[in-house]
Amino acid sequence: MKEKDLKRAYNNVLSQVISSSHQYLFAGNLFGDIFVLSLKELDKGREEPPGKLKIFPQGSSVDINCLQFRRDFLIVGTVGVVYGLQWNEDDEVLSTKRSWEVKIPMQSDAVEVPDVNSLWLSPDTDTLFAGCGDGIIYQISLEDGRIERDYRGHTDYVHSVVGNSNGQIFSGAEDGTVRFWSTKQLEQTSMIEPYTKSQLLRPDWGKWIGSVAVNDDWLLCGGGPRASIFHLRSLESTCVFDFPGRVHVCDFVDDSVFIGGEHNHVQSYTLNGMLQANIPIEHTACYSTVWQTAPIKFMSI
Amino acid sequence: MEAILNTQFQQLEDIIGEILKVKKSGHNSETLRTAAALKFVALKHANREVKHKIKSGRDNLHLEKCKVDISRLQLQNLLYEVSHLKKDIVRCEKFKSRDSDLDLLPDTEYATKLPSIAESKSEPESKHLKHLQRLECELRLRKDLDKQYSFLLSSKQELLQENLNQNQRYVSFAPALRTLKGATKPLHDALQLSLDVEWKLSAVVKYLPKPLYILFINLQSLQRASDEPSFNAEVVGYESEAQMQELTNLKQMPTARRDYSEKDIELSRKLTSVENPLDKALNPHPLHIRVTLGASGSIQLVLLIRYFDLLKCTTVWPQLSVSNNTNHQGDTNFVQHLLRHLFANDLGNEIPIPGIQYDLQNKDLTPEQCIRYLESKDFGKAYCWLQSMCSIPTVDSSMLYKHELNLNKSMREIIARIKRRWNAWLKLSQQIRGLTNKDIDLFTLKENVYPAALSCSLVQWTAITLEEFLAQNSDVLNISPDDKGITYNSYRAVIVRGSAKMECFIRIPSNYPLEMPLWILSVHWNGRHTSQNNSAIKMMEYWTNSLQPKQLEANDRFLYAQLFRTIYSFDIFLETEGSMQTNIEYNKEKPYISAFAKRCRLRPYKYIKKGSVYAFKQ
Repeated sequence: MKEKDLKRAYNNVLSQVISSSHQYLFAGNLFGDIFVLSLKELDKGREEPPGKLKIFPQGSSVDINCLQFRRDFLIVGTVGVVYGLQWNEDDEVLSTKRSWEVKIPMQSDAVEVPDVNSLWLSPDTDTLFAGCGDGIIYQISLEDGRIERDYRGHTDYVHSVVGNSNGQIFSGAEDGTVRFWSTKQLEQTSMIEPYTKSQLLRPDWGKWIGSVAVNDDWLLCGGGPRASIFHLRSLESTCVFDFPGRVHVCDFVDDSVFIGGEHNHVQSYTLNGMLQANIPIEHTACYSTVWQTAPIKFMSI
Repeated sequence: MEAILNTQFQQLEDIIGEILKVKKSGHNSETLRTAAALKFVALKHANREVKHKIKSGRDNLHLEKCKVDISRLQLQNLLYEVSHLKKDIVRCEKFKSRDSDLDLLPDTEYATKLPSIAESKSEPESKHLKHLQRLECELRLRKDLDKQYSFLLSSKQELLQENLNQNQRYVSFAPALRTLKGATKPLHDALQLSLDVEWKLSAVVKYLPKPLYILFINLQSLQRASDEPSFNAEVVGYESEAQMQELTNLKQMPTARRDYSEKDIELSRKLTSVENPLDKALNPHPLHIRVTLGASGSIQLVLLIRYFDLLKCTTVWPQLSVSNNTNHQGDTNFVQHLLRHLFANDLGNEIPIPGIQYDLQNKDLTPEQCIRYLESKDFGKAYCWLQSMCSIPTVDSSMLYKHELNLNKSMREIIARIKRRWNAWLKLSQQIRGLTNKDIDLFTLKENVYPAALSCSLVQWTAITLEEFLAQNSDVLNISPDDKGITYNSYRAVIVRGSAKMECFIRIPSNYPLEMPLWILSVHWNGRHTSQNNSAIKMMEYWTNSLQPKQLEANDRFLYAQLFRTIYSFDIFLETEGSMQTNIEYNKEKPYISAFAKRCRLRPYKYIKKGSVYAFKQ
């Protein structure tokens, strides 16, 4: 079997992002390719045949762990480095030259180059938060590419980093904890450990937290333990979702909760835990979703 | 004037009359005489005047005469011209240009051949002018052609001359060789070279049909040129049979139309009714070539190459020659495929001779029939590469005409290719045999990249049918490349560690090593895990299948390497999975840094070795 067929058979999309013009979808996979799809092509009402998916390889031994989009830059997080690629919307060409790159510093006791597992872009301050394989979250200023500070505390690698507009950062990690950080404080502000709660623990699947999502009052997290909603101030679990697989993605969509992971379906629940939708997927596991409501309402899984 | 003269004469007469009267009267006439004399002066004057006038009149007359003469001359000229022009007009009317007979270039071609002229005067005023222009061009083109023609003629002459010279040299070559041979005879004797014997041995060779002869001679020269011949070619068949066929062929020509005797007809009828008509038509030449690859004593690949007069092509039938009595069932199938996938699009499914279907039509045969017949009689297939080895021009399935002329190079290439395939296949079949009979020691083989002991063990390796293999409906099977006539052999391997069992379904394509064996994994441990429902297994499968021969060291055995990769991946899967379990069955034995990494919780399947330090990584 040729290499291309192998890649097709075992393709594994790790990350997706929509361009700021809401017209293009970017997806990165485990083999270091970035796919670009014009969302207009998906509109079934159009007569034209769908254009070809554009593929921009980034090198054979890098994984595209996470993607973000800022103005006309695609921000790519791979192994040990975060870099920006210029996206030329008119020609639909992704620049092959890195416009900038920020190297994640190696810790003195580290044996491996840390992965950049998760990126969260603070929309107000042009700050990028990168959750990395060494368990540290780096705060990177996009103005000058400087690493402004780091958040230490996780004992294993970080799966997911998100924040809200109040300057709070939330991170879920392989060590099973969800830690709350503030940009103004050095230490973590608080921490929850879902695996310690008996109604959440699934012993065979470990304690890791695969994904974290927040809105103004609530925090949603899941992984090895069941996905569950916590209240941000009381830190109490209010609702448990019975997703039948390991959780790799979860998020708030409108007034419902969306959960995906190592299961052949992704599911959507209401906020009080009722199953709303059960969507079959092609791949063994789902690692990323993006959606938008305007101008084209769509969700990519 | 006349009047003046008349008056003067009158006056003079009058005066003279008076003088006479006076004289008669006797008077002095002096005054009258003076007057008369004066009158003479006047007369003289008048006379002169008259003379003058006459002269001037004459002059005028002459002048006018001249003018008349000139105009007359002009008139004559004009008349002459008129007649001349009339003649010209008649001639012009009679004139007919030969250019109308010429075939001029069509407009488009004209524009392309002489674009400069066509462009510079983009719109010639009249049709005639345009025509003239084109005639001019034609003339130029024709002149060019003429030049070329004369040049070619001269080069032809030269070539002919050269041909003649070469011919002369060629003619003189044989006697020269003969004399050389005669002269070196003592030397041969002294060196104890028995050239004569060798020549006599190959006497049968000259009865080979032309393509086989070319093949045999080339093979033999290759065999002699290489230091240690890796193959051996020989002619099989009897000289007498070949002679017989030649004779019968000769006989058939004249007797084809002659009446047979009753007996003969009956006999031939009987023969045709009993035998398949194809048997007669598709009789291979009694001599065929046998090429043996591989060292004697081990398994050898034998290629039987036959020539068919009717099909004008050669076929090859591969055979295994086994010296020891080990079990080689199923291997013969493989050997067939070995030759099928030698070149892309050369599956031997047609007779690659240009125009053969029309030839066969005349004999009420179809190519398909012939191929089926060849198949059933184990004569093999007519591959394009084989024809090119015999210098027979071919057309392949995509109607591409090919006639290999650089025989030496292409033959070397083809033989090297067959040898490579054969060796790869030999290695593979050895591995499969080793696995099936379990007479390999998994822990000491050098393909085992991981030096510490493996915790899993291979307990079973059996051949299964393709249906059983296809029952493992994996995504990988859906993305199969278009069928290129590849057939597969499937095997099942079972790997066990503690309570966990892994079934591996292996598909080995017939065009190995162009394509690699494909593994599909299925783990039975706390339920059944396949690439369909467990992403860790999916990555494990990818890791096994992504192994490429170029990643291995020379002399590494591919199937073993794949097996080891699968086994240690399975170990790692169990150990990483075990780290999360409450009751730990499998402890961490492999050196990896972290059990999981990245958002998809990749397991450390990759084996990294730096100096003496080795580890597994994501």
